[in-house]
Amino acid sequence: MSEQSKQNISDLMDGELSRDCSRFLLKRMNHDADFRRSWNHYHLLRSAVQQDSQAPLMLDLGNRVVQRLQQSSASVVQSPKSGHRWLKTITGSAIAASVALLAVMSFNQNNVMSGDVDLGMPEYAKTSKQLINPPNAVTARVEQQPRYTRYPDLTPQVQHYIMDKNTQTAIPIYYRVWHNNQLPVQQTIQYQAGRYTDE
Amino acid sequence: MKQDNNKKMSEKTLDSELVDQAKQGHMAAFEMLVNRYQQRVANVIAKLVKDRSEIEDVAQEVFIKVFRALPRFRGDSSFYTWVYRIAINTAKNHLVAKSRRIQNTQVEYEEAESFSANEAHRNLDTPDAVYARGELEQVMAKAISQLPEDLKTAIILREVDGLSYEEIAAEMACPIGTVRSRIFRARDAIDQALRPLLDKENNSKENVRTI
Repeated sequence: MSEQSKQNISDLMDGELSRDCSRFLLKRMNHDADFRRSWNHYHLLRSAVQQDSQAPLMLDLGNRVVQRLQQSSASVVQSPKSGHRWLKTITGSAIAASVALLAVMSFNQNNVMSGDVDLGMPEYAKTSKQLINPPNAVTARVEQQPRYTRYPDLTPQVQHYIMDKNTQTAIPIYYRVWHNNQLPVQQTIQYQAGRYTDE
Repeated sequence: MKQDNNKKMSEKTLDSELVDQAKQGHMAAFEMLVNRYQQRVANVIAKLVKDRSEIEDVAQEVFIKVFRALPRFRGDSSFYTWVYRIAINTAKNHLVAKSRRIQNTQVEYEEAESFSANEAHRNLDTPDAVYARGELEQVMAKAISQLPEDLKTAIILREVDGLSYEEIAAEMACPIGTVRSRIFRARDAIDQALRPLLDKENNSKENVRTI
């Protein structure tokens, strides 16, 4: 480092350097450790002559403070990961709860809608063995799990055997389908004694 | 002459520039700010905290708080005035926390009395640190005493009395350029005297870090 640069640092710390030179020197000092070392040593002399008898002489406290800040920022950088994981868990739970709520609401809505039945709507006959998707259904339906209430004491294997051999009487299930706000609504009805009744 | 003064970057503006750079994340700028005010802050803390070994820890705490509060510093007051308030509050909080710790350990009255009586004289630094600091202060005192009288007068008027170059020039009856040169030469002489010692200390720190 040149003598002129050192003198500029000395002038800078006393507020005796021009603005342009000061700005240039400050930028330079940000990237040049040797310049900063001179700055620190010149301030050490200031510290020594300003030191109170009760206080110890401070030597390059800035370096230790910056090290501590960098250590704490490194630990802060790690903490968002756990925070992010926590947020992710909460978000996942919220989505799952929303889906469950939507399913319950749509189920209730179907039950409420069962009050105003339009008998003019087309009906599609289905059996427990074979489900027929209505031609205008938006979503395909899967086969219902058979209920073995007629033979509650039988083991599942025996019940499967009965089902496979088709010895069980097929119980027809009827669905009435209509549209509400362009959404298909499906209602299960039963055929009893020559007339349809809502289930 | 007046135009020259207007073109200079005052110490307050210099602090503002360093604060702005530190706010932008330039840690080197913040390090320079800390080293600029480290001793004044330590002197303030020493008025309240009598244990010399704790003063440096409290001073570190002060500057960590300063860094975290930098975004809220608007520059209404000077940087040092703002730091001074933080230093006073931190030192007071330190004493309160310390008295709580002492109460929690249920020190007997006699023990507490001897503890506080001894406290002013205690120095819990490691022997190496005490020796290094003592050696540094000795080298510094020797270097200052060996300065030529005109350099010593110029640096004392500047650093202790806080006079501007213009005021020192009037005091010493010499041109401002001479004052500028004398102050720089005084600082440089101390720098040259301290460098071997400080470089040795830095090297030993580096060795400790690598171990």
